Amino acid sequence: MEKDIAIQVKNVTKEFKVPVKGNKNTLQERFLNPFQKTHYREFTALKNLSFDVKKGEFFSVIGPNGVGKSTLLKIVAGIYVPDEGSVEVNGNLVPFLELGVGFNPELSARENVYLNGTILGLTKKELDEYIDEIFDFAELRDFADMSIKNFSSGMAVRLAFSIAIRVKSDILVLDEVLAVGDAEFQKKCYSYFDSIKGTKSILYVSHALSSVSRYSDRVLWLKEDRTYEIGDPAEILEKYKGSL
Amino acid sequence: MLSKNDIDLYKQFVKTIFKMRYKGSILGFLWVLLKPFFMFLILFVVFSSVSGQVGNLTSQQYAVYLLSGLVIYTFFQEGITWGLNSIMERAGLIVKINFKREIVVISALTMALINFGINLLIIGIIGTVLGVQFSLLGIAYILLIGLVMFLGMYGIAFFTSIWMVYVRDLAHIMELVLQLMFYASAVFFPIELIPEQYQFIVRYNPIALFIQAVREALINQNIMNVKFVLLSLLLSIILIIIGNKYFKKKILKVAENF
Repeated sequence: MEKDIAIQVKNVTKEFKVPVKGNKNTLQERFLNPFQKTHYREFTALKNLSFDVKKGEFFSVIGPNGVGKSTLLKIVAGIYVPDEGSVEVNGNLVPFLELGVGFNPELSARENVYLNGTILGLTKKELDEYIDEIFDFAELRDFADMSIKNFSSGMAVRLAFSIAIRVKSDILVLDEVLAVGDAEFQKKCYSYFDSIKGTKSILYVSHALSSVSRYSDRVLWLKEDRTYEIGDPAEILEKYKGSL
Repeated sequence: MLSKNDIDLYKQFVKTIFKMRYKGSILGFLWVLLKPFFMFLILFVVFSSVSGQVGNLTSQQYAVYLLSGLVIYTFFQEGITWGLNSIMERAGLIVKINFKREIVVISALTMALINFGINLLIIGIIGTVLGVQFSLLGIAYILLIGLVMFLGMYGIAFFTSIWMVYVRDLAHIMELVLQLMFYASAVFFPIELIPEQYQFIVRYNPIALFIQAVREALINQNIMNVKFVLLSLLLSIILIIIGNKYFKKKILKVAENF
């Protein structure tokens, strides 16, 4: 793989087998219908997809629901394996398919910072060092010892975002998680992304076309017939809007 | 290889499971000690009349006899059950982020090991109060048996945690098997109480053999079933090696099959 490429997706195909009638996860269903083969509907999420994300590039993926955007992110994040083709990653990739993964509502905010931060790849020592800054950025200093279950959803997501931006990564994979919280906090989020633009490679999936056009260097448009187009944001977005 | 973060993640998982179990209860951590203690008390009162029939044990010795059987069985039950459920329970995390999935399995097993350690401590305390003499060699042997069981159950969990994702009945099947094992392990009665033609079940049941070895080590300072324990150690290590390979291969497809 060339040095200036962060993510290389090559001829990736991914199919899912969706059981047509229920899920034969229990023996009962197999016992009751021993001869009836489970019928699966083959669902092609991605078909022969190839693209590169260059180092420092902000690369967005758009398209209607059900065209495989999330599947693509999960493959790049190493959560799914492709049926065909390959994905190569050059650098430390951290996926944010959801903010605050592993958050436990019963635990205090502080405990959750350690839990979520460790899941995202930080060590305890690093978290000891960052914890004050995390609470400052989230503006939740006075709530550090409160259970997350007593947080408003805005507070929880602010905390999650503040942990996320501490994670050491060269490549970010983001599923609709660019700016969170109220208008004021969203401003902080945007200014964070302004500040890292060009230093980190970002693969971003979103329906928020305004932020796509604001940040993207290139855009990948996944279509319902499993074809795709890659190109300049203005051009692709205009075509996409025209197709809707 | 394990990174610093992997080890921290392991500690975080264990800590979280531990905190969550007694969160919100008034007595909190005390329940870890109280639960096995009351279980023991109930069995002791109900079955103390049998004590004379168990190789002529004094009632103090019977207490240790009963307790050691209970502790080994509990370790087995928790290790098997928690290992089985470990991947399923972390489904929400596994579909969102990539990390070494083995950490989930080993943390579940570690939880069982911690409980086992606490329970051993309870035996130690109750035994000492009752005036039972423990030997150092006996204690070392019991720790070895604990280690062997831990490794064996870790090896098994590599398989069962994956199977559980595909066949949910496994939880119920395992519950039945464990119940059967409780009686087949002669936890609170002497083997002689079982009809002769069925005694082989206990004689060839690995858990019963572990329990027997622990009892002898505690009560009579006698080291027995050494060959069996060493063979189990070897088998457990082989199981871990094969299980680890199986797990690494199968875990790749698990995220899309929850």
